[in-house]
Amino acid sequence: MSDGLVKILDGNTFVVSDGAGDIEATLTDPTGLFSFDTRFLSKWVLSVDGQRLNVLSTDDLQYFETRFFLVPGTGTVYIDAKLSVIRQRAVGDGFHEELTILNHDAQPIDLKVRIDAGSDFADLFEVKDALKKKGTYQTRIEKGALVLGYVRETFRRETRISASARAKVDEGGLTFAVHVEPHGSWTTDLSVVTASLGAGGTRRRPKYGRNERQAQPNMQRNLDRWVQDAPRLECDEGPLRVTYQRSLIDLAALRFSPLSARGRSLPAAGLPWFMTMFGRDSIFTSLQALPFASELAATTLRELAARQGSRVDDFRDEDPGRILHEMRYGEMTAFEERPHSPYYGSADATPLFVVLLDEYERWTGDRALVRDLEFEARAAVNWIDEYADLMGNGYIWYQRRNEETGLENQCWKDSWDSISYRDGRLPGFPRATCELQGYAYDAKIRAARLARSVWKDPAFADRLEAEAVGLKRRFNRDFWVADEGYFALALDTDGNQVDALSSNNGHLLWSGIVDRSKAKSVVEHLLGPRLFCGWGVRTLAEGEGRYNPIGYHVGTVWPFDNSFIAWGLRRYGFKREAAQIAAGIMDAARFFDGRLPEAFGGYHRSVTKYPVQYPTACSPQAWSTGAPLLFLRTMLGLEPVGEHLVVDPALPVEIGHLELLDIPGRWGRIDAFGRGMVDVQEPRSRRSARSGRRG
Amino acid sequence: MADAIAKFFEALDERGYEPLLHRGTGTLRFDLGHDGRTETWFVAVDKGNVSVSHRKGTADCVLRTDRALFARIAAGRANAMAAVLRGLIAIEGDIELLMLFQRLFPGPSGRRTPVPAAGAGKGRA
Repeated sequence: MSDGLVKILDGNTFVVSDGAGDIEATLTDPTGLFSFDTRFLSKWVLSVDGQRLNVLSTDDLQYFETRFFLVPGTGTVYIDAKLSVIRQRAVGDGFHEELTILNHDAQPIDLKVRIDAGSDFADLFEVKDALKKKGTYQTRIEKGALVLGYVRETFRRETRISASARAKVDEGGLTFAVHVEPHGSWTTDLSVVTASLGAGGTRRRPKYGRNERQAQPNMQRNLDRWVQDAPRLECDEGPLRVTYQRSLIDLAALRFSPLSARGRSLPAAGLPWFMTMFGRDSIFTSLQALPFASELAATTLRELAARQGSRVDDFRDEDPGRILHEMRYGEMTAFEERPHSPYYGSADATPLFVVLLDEYERWTGDRALVRDLEFEARAAVNWIDEYADLMGNGYIWYQRRNEETGLENQCWKDSWDSISYRDGRLPGFPRATCELQGYAYDAKIRAARLARSVWKDPAFADRLEAEAVGLKRRFNRDFWVADEGYFALALDTDGNQVDALSSNNGHLLWSGIVDRSKAKSVVEHLLGPRLFCGWGVRTLAEGEGRYNPIGYHVGTVWPFDNSFIAWGLRRYGFKREAAQIAAGIMDAARFFDGRLPEAFGGYHRSVTKYPVQYPTACSPQAWSTGAPLLFLRTMLGLEPVGEHLVVDPALPVEIGHLELLDIPGRWGRIDAFGRGMVDVQEPRSRRSARSGRRG
Repeated sequence: MADAIAKFFEALDERGYEPLLHRGTGTLRFDLGHDGRTETWFVAVDKGNVSVSHRKGTADCVLRTDRALFARIAAGRANAMAAVLRGLIAIEGDIELLMLFQRLFPGPSGRRTPVPAAGAGKGRA
């Protein structure tokens, strides 16, 4: 890993350690054993005769399993070690670690092997924000096990550490007196078990034991079948195949199974810190993955519906019908110092929920789920009109009611400076960002289709369509920056345009809210020199007051964003432009071994020659993982029409021949073929014009 | 205060049909402890059709908690999910059913804002 940290996980339990397998966390240092958003180990350090160990190599065996090869000695040069140490660790309900020491010498050896262990029981939020604990620590030794505990009122968390070999246990760890014969070995099994007392019960041992073949890690469950079930990709281009495989496997690792889901899983937002349910991220990723693994969408819809807002709760920014933003389980959430139980402060998840429901039905024909979720879909549509229209003028607006710990920006560009005027000023609240209106339009059009075809309520369908038409008309008037020919980023409370040029224009194409007559101008901006950097479309256009090529939402390029922009371009018939964006982002993927980061720098391609990764803690990120899947759909022009799948490829020349075989859907399985015919070389004229050069 | 619990369950029983539970079928039992005694409420759900009693039989999901806390939850003055995370409510059994049910508790304002009638595909105007 690029940061030198080793991460393994199983569901929302994960271990982050250094390359030797050691954990030495401070309050702000994000290493440790985490489960349900709590750090259960902040110290886990192995020493032999008082010396730390050096790393020979680290094998990432699986997502949930790693092996560390170590030798004693503190020197930088490793010479003829007489000993080697192997730690093999598998995470699941805590973790299991096989510790083995090999004596390579002809003499027997006696060693003092020590594991120092401790926990600060920090909430993930405390790790992020460096906050102090309010409860008390309790450490005890019980039946040969070291039990680390934390208590705050009725909130109790415990970590139980034990070993199969005889150990001297003290409150700071375990010590082993080890004798190893010449060319012999010594081994022990270390168990670290996490327990949340009061809720969830206690476990006696971790998921894995030595030579355990029974236990199944969350992600490994059906991994082979998962990959087999997905369409097969055949193509001339090696890197594309690598990216596709990488995406499928990462998506499998990102599957998260909430306690209530009975083993079904949905995409979590990112590894490891965002291994939980997010409305927006789970929906976008499910949309991207629909042609490949539609069951993710089904679980996402069911689980979000089960937690749909039902009351007005200012602390959680909850309203009836609203789809949640984020769910957490840690101490700060438990004590209502954070609102994530769950938190509802997202303005896009609710309309997107309806969009996903319709798109899911178009692919799968699963009308049973659409009928089952009729109530929730109607409540979501109602939220748009009754609760989101804070200014009473027919648009979705957002303003947090939880002013202390709620989210200021409740759209996908959720950093503080993401929504700005051309001159860099920030508007007040509430804000109506443009893409929200697009999603609302699309949600109504799609809900109308479902009302007519599944819910058998044509009157409701008529009403929704009429509302959507009205919204589209007003939107194209109020948000259109006429002198430039694009849509403003947002409206402010005075009805003025927050007029910066942004990638949000692409989401508007995707939603269908853009008047046909305006589309060409919008597309010219998206592919123009201010937004398009050669790899993809920047979040904010060069030349805007807040533009910064390495600013989180103000100049970087987001693969997920681009995948929806390309979908939008196809929707309006701009095949070449869609292929150009697909080609750029897929080219960028090569530099990351097929794993697209959350975002990369918006520097022009000709300047850096390679995409400059934006530093983020999470990798893989779900919607970046899903981006190549959506690009494949877009490039092949896959579109369900009635009981059929239409294939209308527009592939970049570089891709050559491409086949996507056994695409599942309501048609059974269908193959799609395409040949690269689209020249996506960036027109030189635009750049020349900008820089004033010729030729 | 003591009435908040009875009010909550009686109103639910009176409604007979609760759209927020239309996807749920099963039974929930609430064991509410106070002064060494246990007050029991038993809710049977069949695709949103609800009936409430004081039956003490086995249920798909059993919640055990302090009566005073539950009174606050039923009045919208405490949040059920946070209480679960805090270890104040012990749960056994079907968590899915509980997830649906907890949405019936009122918000902090003390009233549950009604969602427009949608009748899960039937009885619509």
